[in-house]
Amino acid sequence: MSRLPGGLIDRGRTHSFTFDGKAYHGHPGDTLASALLANDVRLMGRSFKYHRPRGVFTSGSEEPNALVELGTGARREPNTRATVAEIYDGLVANSQNRFPSLSFDLMGVNDLFAPFFAAGFYYKTFMWPASFWEKVYEPIIRRAAGLGSLSMDADPDAYDKGFLHCDILVIGAGPAGLAAALTAARAGAQVILADEDFRLGGRLLSETHRLDDAPAQNWIESLEAEFDGLPKLRVMRRTTVFGAYDHGVYGAVERVADHLPDAGTGVRQTLWRITAKRTVLAAGAHERHIPFANNDRPGIMLAGAMRAYANRWAVSAADKIAVFTNNDDGHRTAIDLAAKGVEVAAVVDTRSWAKSRGDYPFYPGATVSNARGRTGLVSIDINYAGGTERLECGALGVSGGWNANVHLASHHRARPVWREDILSFVPSGHGGPPGLSAAGAATGRATTHAALNDGARVAAVALSDLGIDALLPDLPKAEDEPATSQPYWHVPGKGRAWVDFQNDVTVKDIELAHKENMRPVEHLKRWTTLGMATDQGKTANVTALAIMASLTGKPIAKTGTTIFRPPYTGVSISVLGGGDSGQNFRPRRLTPTHVWAAENGAEFVEAGQWLRAQYYRQPGETDARTSVDREAAAVRSGVGICDVTTLGKIDVQGADAGAFLDRLYCNAMASLPVGKVRYGLMLREDGFAYDDGTCARLGEDHYVVTTTTANAGLVYRNMEFSRQCLWPNLDLQLISTTDAWAQIAVAGPESRTLLSRVVDGVDLSNQAFGFMACRELTVCGGLRARLFRVSFSGELAYEIAVPSRYGNALMTQLMEVGADLGVTPYGTEALGVLRIEKGHAAGPEINGQTTAQMLGLGGMVSRKKDAIGSVMSRREGLVGDKRKLVGFVPVDRQKRIVAGSHLFSLGARHATETDEGWITSACHSPALDSFIALGFLENGSQRLGEVIVAANPLEGSQVSVRVASPHFVDPEGARQRA
Amino acid sequence: MPDISLKSMTALGSDDALSETFGAITISERPEVAIASLAARSDAPDPISVFGLSLPGPGEMVSGDGITIVWSAPRQWMILGEGRGEQDFASDVKAAAQDCSITEQTDGFVCIDLVSNSGAQPLQDLLMRLVNLDPARLAPGCATRTLLEHMSVFLIRYSERRVAILSMRSSAQSLWHALSTAAGFAAHRAEVRA
Repeated sequence: MSRLPGGLIDRGRTHSFTFDGKAYHGHPGDTLASALLANDVRLMGRSFKYHRPRGVFTSGSEEPNALVELGTGARREPNTRATVAEIYDGLVANSQNRFPSLSFDLMGVNDLFAPFFAAGFYYKTFMWPASFWEKVYEPIIRRAAGLGSLSMDADPDAYDKGFLHCDILVIGAGPAGLAAALTAARAGAQVILADEDFRLGGRLLSETHRLDDAPAQNWIESLEAEFDGLPKLRVMRRTTVFGAYDHGVYGAVERVADHLPDAGTGVRQTLWRITAKRTVLAAGAHERHIPFANNDRPGIMLAGAMRAYANRWAVSAADKIAVFTNNDDGHRTAIDLAAKGVEVAAVVDTRSWAKSRGDYPFYPGATVSNARGRTGLVSIDINYAGGTERLECGALGVSGGWNANVHLASHHRARPVWREDILSFVPSGHGGPPGLSAAGAATGRATTHAALNDGARVAAVALSDLGIDALLPDLPKAEDEPATSQPYWHVPGKGRAWVDFQNDVTVKDIELAHKENMRPVEHLKRWTTLGMATDQGKTANVTALAIMASLTGKPIAKTGTTIFRPPYTGVSISVLGGGDSGQNFRPRRLTPTHVWAAENGAEFVEAGQWLRAQYYRQPGETDARTSVDREAAAVRSGVGICDVTTLGKIDVQGADAGAFLDRLYCNAMASLPVGKVRYGLMLREDGFAYDDGTCARLGEDHYVVTTTTANAGLVYRNMEFSRQCLWPNLDLQLISTTDAWAQIAVAGPESRTLLSRVVDGVDLSNQAFGFMACRELTVCGGLRARLFRVSFSGELAYEIAVPSRYGNALMTQLMEVGADLGVTPYGTEALGVLRIEKGHAAGPEINGQTTAQMLGLGGMVSRKKDAIGSVMSRREGLVGDKRKLVGFVPVDRQKRIVAGSHLFSLGARHATETDEGWITSACHSPALDSFIALGFLENGSQRLGEVIVAANPLEGSQVSVRVASPHFVDPEGARQRA
Repeated sequence: MPDISLKSMTALGSDDALSETFGAITISERPEVAIASLAARSDAPDPISVFGLSLPGPGEMVSGDGITIVWSAPRQWMILGEGRGEQDFASDVKAAAQDCSITEQTDGFVCIDLVSNSGAQPLQDLLMRLVNLDPARLAPGCATRTLLEHMSVFLIRYSERRVAILSMRSSAQSLWHALSTAAGFAAHRAEVRA
């Protein structure tokens, strides 16, 4: 087939591309589908279930058949529609869901077994035995039935995302959309005009309609020129608005580089979130077909698509074509193709009263009852009163009328309503996305004249809603021929007549679903798979439910549609992901000493968003425990330093700061003297413990609260809630300062000596700066700093804070001046070991299911004042919990205890009823040269010395442990006070 | 002046401020900017001005004589001091607003400038890839707090051609990655269009 005259392709340039390894040529402006048709390729795919040979059926994104794989290697993308894929030089396309080749597909044998694959066959066939489903049936089904396949490689392309805001979003750039955008843009509104096509014009591009007695293209070009000069109008070609979300937000994908051989350093696609005050949906309409026996032969397509290929792309699927229609529109196809020199073998019109509109063989009151040609149409059978006739033709255009494209108007669970006069569902105007109005063919006003004027009118109404006065533009004169469709839904007969091509659903399947009482549309969909997969039944759904309506005897209006949901067409997961993956998938927080740690052998561990040094591997250390034991031992014997910046810091100021903190902490804080730090415990409203930390009083009305790393955000949020909502009358100012200060723990018997070498002229003796003291001072020649004498390890210890930009240098300085003291950097693992040895609770103990009493901190819940959770902590159920935090030492001290193990009495059965508690934290203790653990045990504090079992049923292991005090090291606390 | 023996490090982990250009946009770290938060005490009258600048209302900023003030919450502001990153800026602010609660924030945030050398459009093209803000809400003189790649940021629009971003210092590298990636894509797009 050579090209027809005319069309919107650039014949001056040629693109080479391949399909299934064979080289072809096309022109800029071609889609893969139009270029393949121009190369006489009608067979483009295989159907989902029966592997029936299929050709292109539409000329747009509603395509059910011509699904192909584009690209190679990691860039291979399955299930792309040949009808919307622009060709470029070097494009590689392959057919999918066939073996070994498209023209000879062994899986076509499925077609012979069609009776077994009828509606609901999954549910009926694979019932028994149940164990076969996952291992036998499902893999077989998945291999046989399906679409394209993924490359299984990581996506090498770049994606990005963005946000747009506008007064008016116009979806669709056909006559209605163009008129709407023109009206709004001329009124000075901020306008976005988005269309999935690479050209503006919509259906105007595919018709021969004249505007003001000139080609429509002239008008489109003049508009494009005007649009270029309107700075508040953003025209987005190749952009599919795929969903309407809450608050006037629309999701859209712009295909930035899919039409280019190489995206270069740019992105392939962009995900846009468009916030629109008003939206005009001008999405046009989709033509429907009329099912008849073997109506899926390659070469059979929608009549409107056939017309589009001829008018826009200058190509016909065959030299000799026929048309089967129930409306005047089908005649247009015959007229347009005849005008281009294509032989029209017949126009078969179901309407007996229809008149011929051109010079072609005409069959009024007739139907097409069958089609022949396995991999491409050869002939059709025409049935009319008193006869049957077989007619040779290579392509057939079918028109069963048009369905308004109500998809986006029906998001938010809106239900479209049926209009019998135009035989289409249209948006009901209520219940859909607020601020969205449909215009033009999307609401049934489908003549060019009606669409143009409706687009302008709907835009003017939307603008008026926003208080913007708009003048209706002078629109060109256009055709205004009303649609005259006959409600004719399918040709009855014996053979299989396809309704949903992509899912291989036939009229018989619908009849079977009716027989089996799967009659509501949602049941019909699930039972037959109608309307599923990539096209979501855009060309099938209305026809199917009309057939169901005729079977049930209910009107179509009462039969209704299934729910419409985003996305309108398929959206790649990569673009939804917004671009970054791997390390940059979410923000990372680095400590002020990160650079130093990285240079000094730190292994890092994630703590929420933070990356913390877990331990510092030294030369010769081959396992983590060696490093951790060394670090912990160094703290006990000398001095260690550890970055503890990640603990939350909240600055609390105001005359009522003390009173406020008294209400937040279960223990007293208002009574804390200036220059002192106190350990504090916060409870949830329900009385359970939720976070602990220290509270330092730097001034009369100035406190600094510290939180755990994990709960820094939560505690701050709860404090803000309390300040703003619970007690707005308190004089209180809060702000996070976590990032502002680099805080370094200096712990161990030599910590005082080390610190005295960096602080400027401050007496750190026990008398001058005792346990739990704090103060502001300077270090290293005048740098402002804060010093807290607090201990997590149980040793003499401090935390020193300097502005974060100096954290790295302070770490270096401490290492230098403490070299003779054997100063050792330690990470979170050693930090954990030290606090377990000391019996200090942390996240595993304060996990939201434990109380102050269980933690052995019941005495902290003050009865002299009220605080959040205090009263609730005294309720019977919580007070009655006898589990207590205790320590555990394995009977065989070198046997590891696993955190999470459950505790049972010796000889007891390991079951929920006999469960007596669980292990929260466990480690190897270098101080005791033994494994140790903390955990909650029933009556634990009265069972010291008892041997019980810590069982790990997940791994089938258990270890005998002796109950001990949780304070393994220095239970009297003398060291930290030294 | 104190003679501090420690050397400071920028939020991006180097000795010197980083700067990189993508098409018309230059992204620069600004470690020399000092920051302090100012909150009015509830028993005090509404503060009116600091350093001679009137405190701005919601969504606004004021700037002059090396000081920028940004509204951050009811009766709360962020005060920025140009060229004072190495100083005890919070003490200076406290001296200027003794009735208020002042908190040092210089190293709580990383400050990054986005500057266009070709009018407002390149900045607009970049910002729309970063934040969900109507451009009208970020005209010169506007400042707001919003989300950028899951990070909480202040955006301060100094002029048509300049926006400053404040974000948590600890996630400075993630912010830099987000800004430079988006700026690279935006520059590529502009180049293709041109």
